[in-house]
Amino acid sequence: MTRLIPDWEIRITNFGLGYILMCLVVAIAATNTGNNGLYLVLAGMLASMAVSGVLSRRNVRGVSCEIESIGEVVATRPALLRVRLQNTLRTGTAQALFFLHEGLPGPLWVDPLKPGERREIVVEGRFPRRGVVRIPDAGLLSRFPMGLFRKYRRAIAAREIVVYPLPESSRVPEAPPEEARGGRPHAFRRGGGFDIRTLRDFGPGDDPRDMHWKQSARMRRWIVREREAERDRAVVLTVDNALGDPEDPAALDALEHAISRCASQALVLLSRGGEVGFQARGVRVVPQTGRPQRARVLDALARLEAVARDGAPAFPSLRRGDHRVLVT
Amino acid sequence: MDAGLRRAYVETLAPAAAVAPLPLYFTDGASAKAIAVYELALALLWWRARRGRPARLPDTALNLAGLAYLLLLAFEVSVLHHGLLRCVSHLLLFTALAKLASIKSAGEARTALLVLFLLTLAAASSSTHVSSLLYFAAMALLAFYALARLAVLADFEEAPPERVLRSVPTVAVSLAGIVGAALLCVPLFYGLPRLKGPYAIAPFRLEDGLSTALAADRVDLESFGAAKRSDRVVLRLTADAADWKRIVRLREAVFTEYRGGVWTRRPSLLRQPTGAPRDLPLPPGLEPVRIDLNLFAKGFLFLPYGVERLHVEGGRSAYPLADGLLQASPGRRALTYEVGLGRPAPVRGAGSSAIDPQTVPREIAEYAASVVGDEKNPPAVYARIESRLRRDFIYSLEPPSPRGDPLVDFVLRSRAGHCEYFASAAALMLASRGIPARLATGSYGGELGLFSRSIVVRGGNLHAWVEADLDGTGFGVLDPTPPAGLPEATSHGSFLRSIAALGREVEFFYDRRILGFEALDQQRFFEAAREEVSGLTQTASNWSSAWTARAIRRGIEVLAVGGALLILAREWRRRWRRVPPATRAYVALRELLARRVGFVSAATPPVEVARRLARSMPDAEDDAAAVVEAYCANAFGGRSLDSETEQDLARRVRRLRRLAS
Repeated sequence: MTRLIPDWEIRITNFGLGYILMCLVVAIAATNTGNNGLYLVLAGMLASMAVSGVLSRRNVRGVSCEIESIGEVVATRPALLRVRLQNTLRTGTAQALFFLHEGLPGPLWVDPLKPGERREIVVEGRFPRRGVVRIPDAGLLSRFPMGLFRKYRRAIAAREIVVYPLPESSRVPEAPPEEARGGRPHAFRRGGGFDIRTLRDFGPGDDPRDMHWKQSARMRRWIVREREAERDRAVVLTVDNALGDPEDPAALDALEHAISRCASQALVLLSRGGEVGFQARGVRVVPQTGRPQRARVLDALARLEAVARDGAPAFPSLRRGDHRVLVT
Repeated sequence: MDAGLRRAYVETLAPAAAVAPLPLYFTDGASAKAIAVYELALALLWWRARRGRPARLPDTALNLAGLAYLLLLAFEVSVLHHGLLRCVSHLLLFTALAKLASIKSAGEARTALLVLFLLTLAAASSSTHVSSLLYFAAMALLAFYALARLAVLADFEEAPPERVLRSVPTVAVSLAGIVGAALLCVPLFYGLPRLKGPYAIAPFRLEDGLSTALAADRVDLESFGAAKRSDRVVLRLTADAADWKRIVRLREAVFTEYRGGVWTRRPSLLRQPTGAPRDLPLPPGLEPVRIDLNLFAKGFLFLPYGVERLHVEGGRSAYPLADGLLQASPGRRALTYEVGLGRPAPVRGAGSSAIDPQTVPREIAEYAASVVGDEKNPPAVYARIESRLRRDFIYSLEPPSPRGDPLVDFVLRSRAGHCEYFASAAALMLASRGIPARLATGSYGGELGLFSRSIVVRGGNLHAWVEADLDGTGFGVLDPTPPAGLPEATSHGSFLRSIAALGREVEFFYDRRILGFEALDQQRFFEAAREEVSGLTQTASNWSSAWTARAIRRGIEVLAVGGALLILAREWRRRWRRVPPATRAYVALRELLARRVGFVSAATPPVEVARRLARSMPDAEDDAAAVVEAYCANAFGGRSLDSETEQDLARRVRRLRRLAS
């Protein structure tokens, strides 16, 4: 399959190759006939090629392209991206630019940018796998001015884009009983109990079963019931990221599945008001509840990398009463 | 292909397609009817595209049309016997239309562009008129627009919005591109290697009238008039500190034999090297005059009176003939030569040949006798002849058709003619009275150049006069032509004339420096450049002895090194600044660990880095943990660091480095 996003900065087009071939033909004709009209055409063609290179370089290099995500980004799911473009040239309009991103169905036309002009566009993109994107697979492409060359400039990320793993449905672990807190005091927290604590706007991670339909209809926005925690549940989900061979595709694939399942279990437990933590080799997220914890766990899962079993660090120690669940 | 996209392609290519074949009409490279049909069909295609219904001929129709054209082509070649250029041009016109009417993909649009390029090539290679420059400029502009828009369309799979093609390219960028390309085109054109002489020579060299008029071995009265009516550039004369009056009369040939309206040179005088200036580099002291001559026929050089030395450039030479005449070595190309004038002195033509009185037609001799009467003093004889010619005769570039000998007809019946009639009549009448005389041809006057100290001599400046020995001191110049028929010595122009002069300069430049540019010109140019460079080197080496030059050189060296260091420092800072301080500190941490343990995998998480560093350097545990914590908070937690924390990180990294060392 042809890769949409180029891994080069400049490449000659088929038209450019034809142009060079025609230059050769005209050169041979001019040399053999001594026709100065042909010499003039040849000189014009060669000069145009050089000028085309200069204009093209200015056109693409003069535009900076920054990308940042809007909201959460989940692997393989559509995500909104804000693209900031700026023409840094003092003179010269940047034109004939196309924005490329793997998530887009094709090149996206960018209207000419006047000198110094800034512009923001929002596009929908997809990231194929979880992880941290520091150098996005996106950029600006242009064949301007004559289509002899394609020039590409990779976009930069305004800040790193954390791509959460796509949750994969799996059996949710049993929550430990109340007395499993090991004598630590009970925290008055929101959770999945019966008592309504408050009403608030719907947010990512909320259980749709908590939707307050009447109030939503009245307010004309989505409202959910926030419940009090029925009881404390401190579950530490653990993924073993130590592999015999960190390059083995099968092992890596299994690890990815484990991470996805872990994400799914963490989301379910957190949406039920549970206290959830996360551990892996050299990684530790202290058990807590609520939406910030959701982001912390997903962030840790997104960043998790395989390490070699030899010399891999041990799992961090648990607090008294915490319940470890190894996700495989 | 989407109809909207096809419409965009047609609209993009149509302007260039309309202009591309136009010069073929003027160069006879395509018939007027074919071009008219092509333009009409193109207009129809464009109109349909504008209406949103671009034409798309089915393949069957295209194949049938192709077959039909093959028959037409065979008929054209075998029956009509059109030249190769015409047949090929017509084929290209047909192909261009067929392609534009059946664009089905971006590749076919490029094929149409290729056909248009071939049409342009045919037009450019067959055009020799100066207006070709306008054509080149127009095509450059249209081609730039077309290529820029095709480059955009290549990334669309359906019709682009209206604003897309309107916005590309912008006027400023187009101008910058075209001006830049034109400037770059000049050195490329003059620098490309020439292996053959110019294919197309300026058209005036092939003009029969002018060539015959200046054949020098033979000049007839009728063709001389045709040459004078021509507006072609004969030569350009450049002088730095010129006394224009001294050099406006240029002598090309002298004639002593007249028969039936034709002047010839006596065969015995054709190859007698007497009195001609020698071909040597000009010594100082002589006033230099440079002449760029478009050679005609036998290549006689136009020379001012009083020439002492001559130097022909470009490896050509000049053969001396009798009466101070010079003939260039064989070759059709233009010639540049420099002559050195001696001190101002009475104007005398070199050589001693004169018209034999016995060869003067009887009617003219009798007429001379009636004019001169019994006057014997040569100056008085000439005065009477000149007076009669100016009083009873009319200057005309289109004299009535003669009956019999044109000169006899001029003297006895028509009494109207141009300068050669007057000069011929006067020379023959003087000869009939026993005074040594002959006919001289050449040029008189010219138009002052607009941007240079030069005179452009054109066909209208061709002139004929008499050389006669009236007082035994040599052949002086006598000009019996009435003042009305005498070309202007130097003409300064009004604004309009300046524009016209500019046009003539451009025309001369095009004829001489573009159309007729050749390897010798190129060699001359490179030699001049080499001399210039060696002169500069010499100047520089002279400077090297002076202490100021040394100081300047040192200054330049210091500036260059300083500039390079400044650029390097800026680049380093620019790259380093992109990395946040916390990441910088973490990278330093990894480097320290790698230095101690040998290798740190890219997959090693930050906490593990801190742990391993602490294991290898127990004193570094706190600092490593702090660096990792700050890094994770900044890079992953999105928390920005204050300046105090940054300084603390820098301190910790310094401490770690000390510990590691």
